[in-house]
Amino acid sequence: MKEERGKHRIVVLNVNSEEHSVAVKDGETLLDVLRDKLRLTGTKKGCNLGVCGACTVLVNGQPKNSCLLLAAACEGDEITTIEGVAGEGVLHSLQRAFINHGAIQCGFCTPGMIISALDLIKRNPDPSEDEIKEALSGNLCRCTGYTRIIDAVKSWKKYKKTKEPPSRSYDSEKFLTVGRSLPRVDAADKVTGRAKFAADYYFQNMLYGKILHSPIPHGRIKKIDTSRAENFPGVKLVLTGKDVPDITYGVSPARYDEYILAKEKVRYVGDEVAAVIAVDEETAEGALNLIQVEYEELPAVFNPTEAVQEGAPQLHERYKNNINTHVDHHFGDIEKGFAEADCIREEEFVGNHVYQNPLEPHTSIAYWENDGSTLVLYSSTQVPHYVHYMVARVLDIPLGDIRIIRPTVGGGFGAKAATTPLDLITSIASKKTGRPVKMLYSRKEMFLYGRGRHKQYMKFKIGVKKDGRITAVKSKIYLDGGAYSSFGVITAYYAGSMIPTLYMIPNYRYEGFRIMTNKPACGAMRGHGTPQPRFAFESLLSMIADDLGIDPVEIRLRNAMEANTRTCNDLDVRSCEFKSTLKEVEKKSGWREKYGKLPPGKGIGIGCGGFVSGAGYAIYRGQVQRSLEKKPEAFQKKAIFPHANAIVKVSEDGTAVIPLILAAEIGQGAATVLSQMCAESLGISLSRVRIRMEDSDISPLDLGAYSSRTTLMGGNAVVMACRDVLKKLFATVSEIWGCKPQELEAGENRIFHKRDKSKDMEWAEAARRYFNEHGPLVGTGWYKPPEELGGDYKGAAVGTSPAFSFGSSVCECRVDLETGKVKIERFTDYHDCGTPINPQAVHAQVEGAVVMGSGETIMEEVIYDGKGNTLNPNLHDYLLMTIKDVPEIFSGIVDSYEPEGPYGAKEIGEGATLPVLAAVAHSIANATGVWIKDLPITPEKILKALKNKEEAA
Amino acid sequence: MVISDIALHFPKNLSEAIRLLGELEEARVLAGGTDLLIEIKQGLVMVKNLISLKKIKELKGIEKKGNRIRMGALSTLEEVMSDPLINQYIPALADAAASMASFQIRSMATVGGNISSAVPSADLPPTLIAAEATVELHCSDSSREVSLSEFFTGPREMICGKGELLTSVFIPLPPDETGIAFQKFALREASALAVVNVASKLTIKKGKIERALIVLGAVAPTPVLASKASGLLCGNKPSDSLFEKAALTAREEGNPISDIRGSIWHRKELIQVLTRRTLDEALSQVQGKLRRGK
Ligand SMILES: Cc1cc2nc3c(=O)[nH]c(=O)nc-3n(C[C@H](O)[C@H](O)[C@H](O)COP(=O)(O)OP(=O)(O)OC[C@H]3O[C@@H](n4cnc5c(N)ncnc54)[C@H](O)[C@@H]3O)c2cc1C
Ligand code: FES
Ligand code: FES
Repeated sequence: MKEERGKHRIVVLNVNSEEHSVAVKDGETLLDVLRDKLRLTGTKKGCNLGVCGACTVLVNGQPKNSCLLLAAACEGDEITTIEGVAGEGVLHSLQRAFINHGAIQCGFCTPGMIISALDLIKRNPDPSEDEIKEALSGNLCRCTGYTRIIDAVKSWKKYKKTKEPPSRSYDSEKFLTVGRSLPRVDAADKVTGRAKFAADYYFQNMLYGKILHSPIPHGRIKKIDTSRAENFPGVKLVLTGKDVPDITYGVSPARYDEYILAKEKVRYVGDEVAAVIAVDEETAEGALNLIQVEYEELPAVFNPTEAVQEGAPQLHERYKNNINTHVDHHFGDIEKGFAEADCIREEEFVGNHVYQNPLEPHTSIAYWENDGSTLVLYSSTQVPHYVHYMVARVLDIPLGDIRIIRPTVGGGFGAKAATTPLDLITSIASKKTGRPVKMLYSRKEMFLYGRGRHKQYMKFKIGVKKDGRITAVKSKIYLDGGAYSSFGVITAYYAGSMIPTLYMIPNYRYEGFRIMTNKPACGAMRGHGTPQPRFAFESLLSMIADDLGIDPVEIRLRNAMEANTRTCNDLDVRSCEFKSTLKEVEKKSGWREKYGKLPPGKGIGIGCGGFVSGAGYAIYRGQVQRSLEKKPEAFQKKAIFPHANAIVKVSEDGTAVIPLILAAEIGQGAATVLSQMCAESLGISLSRVRIRMEDSDISPLDLGAYSSRTTLMGGNAVVMACRDVLKKLFATVSEIWGCKPQELEAGENRIFHKRDKSKDMEWAEAARRYFNEHGPLVGTGWYKPPEELGGDYKGAAVGTSPAFSFGSSVCECRVDLETGKVKIERFTDYHDCGTPINPQAVHAQVEGAVVMGSGETIMEEVIYDGKGNTLNPNLHDYLLMTIKDVPEIFSGIVDSYEPEGPYGAKEIGEGATLPVLAAVAHSIANATGVWIKDLPITPEKILKALKNKEEAA
Repeated sequence: MVISDIALHFPKNLSEAIRLLGELEEARVLAGGTDLLIEIKQGLVMVKNLISLKKIKELKGIEKKGNRIRMGALSTLEEVMSDPLINQYIPALADAAASMASFQIRSMATVGGNISSAVPSADLPPTLIAAEATVELHCSDSSREVSLSEFFTGPREMICGKGELLTSVFIPLPPDETGIAFQKFALREASALAVVNVASKLTIKKGKIERALIVLGAVAPTPVLASKASGLLCGNKPSDSLFEKAALTAREEGNPISDIRGSIWHRKELIQVLTRRTLDEALSQVQGKLRRGK
């Protein structure tokens, strides 16, 4: 039964001017050999099919996709990888430019970008913007929106080659760190390819796993025969449903409905049926084909309208008529509200099913240490703690026996916000085999696993007075949930709860249904459930403004949320500068000169939005404990445990400060802003701060990167821990100086007396003195959201937050009226994110969100074939905007201060997405005279609408 | 992924490559690999032997040979884009190459591969057919030259037999007073396959269209020579209404399918718009030449 395997040949590869002789198979790509054999892991694998450019290397000076080169064919070529760009300990000017311009977020695309740009500046040291875009046209970035990458390449000459580390060089005279656009603390590692993502780890004796996915959308598993796979040479373990615990998992505790491997039924094409663990990935993949599964196919259903009909195929017994969640919220009195209205308009909208597509594919590696009693799990997750909690549940072991490590993460946007089958299978398989097990998703598997944005079918009705003031709003939304719950219960609530936060809405009714269908489960994507209703609401408001002849900016100003308001659905808005964002975008974009005055084919549009700065309540109830040993708990209107926790530890010589916090850096810049706040509160320079966030054994619990919570919650915990450190330090120093601790201050790396200039000590010296007398200098801090957040109705917890962000965007576009093609030309955005801890990082979030949201509005969509198969599970056919598609973006920040936030800060990460969809849609309507209400607004839909209008006329 | 049972061969010259191609089981030639390796990785084709053309010098280079341009099959898209001869005589081909894929891919992807992959949406064939290019095919004991317009027989199918290698593409130097234009509609600005692409050639003598060729891509299993539309133009004076009529006729000559990139309806609309635009552009090329000539 043994298959004929390809033979190895020895090839000599010249990589970064070093000769390596390596044994390779003829079919091995250069990418795999560089990574797996030479361990030059700076070159990344994002798609393996030639589209993303993360694998770009120079071959004889030309940038090429190493995933499309066979290593054996590269003998004699000169290959340069990111590791060879600069000499040891030296950074190339271009790398410095990337660092200083904030052209890096998650860093997964960065090595490829730099390689492509390097070739460009060699050919053309003064490239124009168009030349830069052309040279980088094969490098996708999901985080940055490309704007800062273009700026970095444009200005590379300004930077000199420098010795590392550059971080010391931003130790400027001024020690103030908060509010300054300082370079990221992880930037140097990311531009050199040193930053290690989960897939870049290799352990001795490691095995690899692959999953067998269901080929049918709905069926019962009658029989699985794994014997041939088990006997396949190199296979160590085959797992099926019977080998995994009878414990369900998921995200929302009320709806844990997934098994690690299907027990009895499969519910979508891609459902996990079996797993093979083998000596290498190829063997594991090969053996999958030998597993024989007999299915009894069941009728399947693919859209929510059909799924709720009597007699439709049922996915889960517990969800009658496939209704997974039903929300019915009514605040005020909408009957009365609509009766008071002078103008009422109702429209239907469709939000599309898009997929986050972080550039880094999901990866997990597990092994057991400490005599096999402790699980170590490396996971490319954005929520280490929830993975921790869920693995403890499924393996039924205490959280204390698990150590979660979150390496550098290549973007998440919600795709990595839940525990994956990879996390769980590697954990189980490594226990069974006694060896480390590594598993990675291919890009296609990422699509199959799903957890993208729910498709939402929305009906919105708004009533207003003659002057545009809103009297009532009603919405009814069907969310296509896919086959499992995942985050979906919360998504269904979010789709309603955030509408009243932006405008004063006296009467509001929301009815939402999340429906199960035989497709990959949907989850939480940037803005979680809210961008689509926001798109619908904003579009409808702009239509109404036009109906009434009120300027769309004006109608928003007349209804805009004010600070210190309790919304109709009992959310407490504290700081709010929404009106300033409106006024600023109006001015900056030249709105008044343009709206209604542009020639056909040119358009301008507005959209607004905002988001929570961290969810008011944790996803699970009760305390941190193995869930199976907890009794079901009633909901309490308070945080049971602190959602963010920090330890700030000072090195014994006092020169380094190490904040420990499990907050997740996934590209958004958490490590940098938390470090900045730490430096600021301690009065030391940023270069002395070395944050550690990756290891749950080292850093205390933080709930992770979701609901845009890190700056506010993590920041508060860090600041509190720093105060604790200073208190101890001041006590020691005041004793030495014979004064009161309150008379001391820290700043500029010193501790000094507020009035007596003679009393002045090096910060590090003070810390040493403390250590001499008291041992380790450590401070602790934590953050619990305020108690009593939200109302008393069912689902009132969703949407609660210590603070809300606000923003307004104006989009300008050009439409080819003959083909329907849209070019988004310019974006102007102003945001109220409280105090920007790092303005550059804020702008970078906005730019990334503008590009992601624009793509969602005009080109992105996961497409199915009517039988549950995904037709575009790759980056060729699922269209992310390339650098040549992006608009010019202006991002501005209005003055604002949030009392609940550290230094007055709020969120920006998700909120920045919210205004985008409607701004784009409105600008297209403005350019063409037709509103397209179902996303994505493709050229075809535009053209069709134009033709229909022509025929009607 | 590793394609474990593939064997890679590096013939040093054409005859060795052709010999291997004839001898080896489930063999394919590997040029840039930007199409073939993707097919293999996705499990769409079974290949046991890959014959790399990398070392074969005869297949490289773009040069003028008599009154024709010869492009070696291994010419990359990047070379096509930047070649002075191409830019001088058929800039539309440089436009087509520039519209393709991404910067990296263009330095790997070859002309021979773009033609031999025989994908309906391929971007070079329409312009090449409009320019009346021929391809040279070599097999073990002979070679033949065929018109590219007769080369394709279906999606991923062509007259190139097993054991036959495409070695060169010949493009006759377009006569004076000729314009060739290319237009592509895709859903994003880079790394995007054509929803529809169109190339048109116009030769205008004494104010009248003497010869016209309109070629449509991505609207049928193979590139379509819109002969009715082309015929309609010949003998007439170029005008907006004539071009519009030709475009409308071309629209009916395409036979597109609906897929994830576009519906039949949208593709037909696009044929019409792009055809008219290529005709306008070809005409203005001719007018430009005349102006410069004077
Ligand atoms: C990201 C990306 C974007 C792309 N965008 C475009 C695009 O916009 N437009 C477009 O048209 N294409 C596009 N492609 C497809 C592909 O890059 C081109 O078709 C390319 O020209 C193929 O050339 P190659 O040398 O890489 O072919 P290969 O992959 O090496 O070969 C393709 C096929 O042709 C055969 N072959 C190659 N050379 C010969 C020869 N001399 N004689 C006989 N048979 C031969 C091979 O055996 C194989 O079957 C894209 C590909 C990628 C990865
Ligand atoms: S991994 Fe090679 S292009 Fe994406
Ligand atoms: S920084 Fe470019 S993909 Fe994340």
